[in-house]
Amino acid sequence: MSKQSNRNSDFIKKVINYQSVLLLVLVGLIVFFGIMNTVFLKPKVIFNVIEIIGETLIMALPMTFIITTGGIDLSVGYILTLSAIVFGATLTSTGNLALAIAACILTGTAAGAFNGLIISRTRIPPLVCTLATMSLYRGIALIIAGDKTYTGFPDAFKLISTYRIGKIVPIQITYLAVFFIVFFILYNRSSLGRNLKAIGFNENAVIYAGVDTKKIKFWIYTACGTMCAMASLVYLGRLSAAKPSMGTDLNLEVITAVVLGGTSTMGGVGSMTGTLIGVLIIGVLRKGFTIMNLSGNIYNFVLGAILIVGLIAFALIEERKKTAKKGQK
Amino acid sequence: MENKKKFEVAKLATREVVLAIIVIIFIIFLSIFTNFNTSSGLFSFMLDVAPMIVGAIAMSLVILTGNIDISAGTIIGFVGYTAGSLAEMGYSIIVFAPAAILVGTLLAGLNGIISVKFKVPSIVVTLAMAKVHLGFYATFLPNAGWVENLTDNFTWFGFARIFNIIPYNFVVAVVVSIFFVLFMKYTKFSKKIYAVGGKRQAAIYAGINPDMTVIKTYFLEGFLLGIAGILLFTKSNEIMPSASYGREMVFITAAVVGGISIIGGRGKIIGAVIGTVLVYLMQVAMIYLGYQDYYQYALQGIIILIAVYITVTKFNKFKKKPAKFLKGGQTT
Repeated sequence: MSKQSNRNSDFIKKVINYQSVLLLVLVGLIVFFGIMNTVFLKPKVIFNVIEIIGETLIMALPMTFIITTGGIDLSVGYILTLSAIVFGATLTSTGNLALAIAACILTGTAAGAFNGLIISRTRIPPLVCTLATMSLYRGIALIIAGDKTYTGFPDAFKLISTYRIGKIVPIQITYLAVFFIVFFILYNRSSLGRNLKAIGFNENAVIYAGVDTKKIKFWIYTACGTMCAMASLVYLGRLSAAKPSMGTDLNLEVITAVVLGGTSTMGGVGSMTGTLIGVLIIGVLRKGFTIMNLSGNIYNFVLGAILIVGLIAFALIEERKKTAKKGQK
Repeated sequence: MENKKKFEVAKLATREVVLAIIVIIFIIFLSIFTNFNTSSGLFSFMLDVAPMIVGAIAMSLVILTGNIDISAGTIIGFVGYTAGSLAEMGYSIIVFAPAAILVGTLLAGLNGIISVKFKVPSIVVTLAMAKVHLGFYATFLPNAGWVENLTDNFTWFGFARIFNIIPYNFVVAVVVSIFFVLFMKYTKFSKKIYAVGGKRQAAIYAGINPDMTVIKTYFLEGFLLGIAGILLFTKSNEIMPSASYGREMVFITAAVVGGISIIGGRGKIIGAVIGTVLVYLMQVAMIYLGYQDYYQYALQGIIILIAVYITVTKFNKFKKKPAKFLKGGQTT
């Protein structure tokens, strides 16, 4: 009898973790917005949520890597902006789409590599480095673009974000799934993922274990830059206008999604599924706010509040886990 | 041993001296090419740089504990709104200044409490806070926090001058600077700030409560931000809180240029003050050379990177040495 109840509590412990609570929050939000406005439950709207989270998810995946190592990248929003501006500038001046895409991805990769180089080779903390490069990339984007807005992208390009499979399912679902699976496997099933978590816990121990942490750090920031450039392409396909102010709010959105998903900002603990759910929650919120005709300012306010509440909630859960472990001993 | 120690002191001192020399060269150049040497140019320089100095000191204190405050700019916005709306109701500076400073103190203190109590990196908390503040202005404050057409009871302080040349708010900034230079030298609390930012574990062993120290420092920062807000906003007759978002980057740049180590525990307030003047003069120079203000973003980023790189590598060199000193039986 007691064994049975023990097994039951074990089972409950396994199911009720942070991510499942998060999933419940997601469902709760969808139901809430559905009650407020029944339009929200139409498949078209649900698919639209997937459409609008595209760039956020693409950037949140490498961000999970970075935050797991105990770092952070505050410059993602402006790497996206810079790559988008370079794309627009190249396309309008040469008219060559392939060249523009190449330039865009190269720019993002270079920007990420610059971050990675500084963070891995010097003792400048990632927070400060990316805070500075955030300002730098923003400045460069503004210098290139000035007050201009680049528009008039070819229709073939826009298809990467507007094409619908069978006229209903957005094309994003395919490559978002591929990206997610790749990052999920890297994070949970590869030595890279293990090393990332180990770096977050205790970097010195990993170095003594013979792992080249500098190399890992360099490559995750570079990969983050590349993913930001891809995100900018996806974003541009949907928005079809590149302007210097486009990525301003994305920094906070991406970090919120990752932190909300249960990746600790202290490093060492993280979850890819959590990130996915976090991004979906943000997408549902954004769509819900648009449908309810609330302004972007309230959305920003709520987003910031969610980040703070999420941080506190996660800290409390961790605290409880620790005290529970102590009690067992 | 003695020689080495002297050498160290000389090395630390040079940084401030070098900065001061750069500032002087800048001033000479600017006075040749612009209206800097005229009394109105000097007046506007003192008027503009005063709030920046106080803000940079506030940011320096937080950075010295090994934390940061990205919401400093938006807190100043709240300070401005509080001051402006009270002044609009007809209250004089004796009422609105303390009230506004109190608002700044509480908001910054909240950052500190959340960051310390829940063990969350301050940069993430304050980044989120900055967005919360911005959203708050736009949604909950009447007229999105804009206060316009303020009368003399608000602006007199910003334009009052001593001897017809030195603005009151510059005097306040100088007093605050001198006070904090002395404060960081002679008070117990300042030693705690340095200890917590430098070697946290050692500070704990020395009987310092690092959590309380950081929280107190945040409250102190908020107090100073309140003063900076009053100095900043009394210069004009309208207040737009959201416009002060981004000022924190200027404060951070000024602090790190002045040699405050971003990792915490190292740096002098006088350096931050000189750094502020340098950053301000650089802005003036760029405007004079005809660059649009968005070049400043790029320059700011590069300056922070270079300054932080220098302090971090310097810190690194020192970090390797103390082991030798300790072997020699020194207690510090």
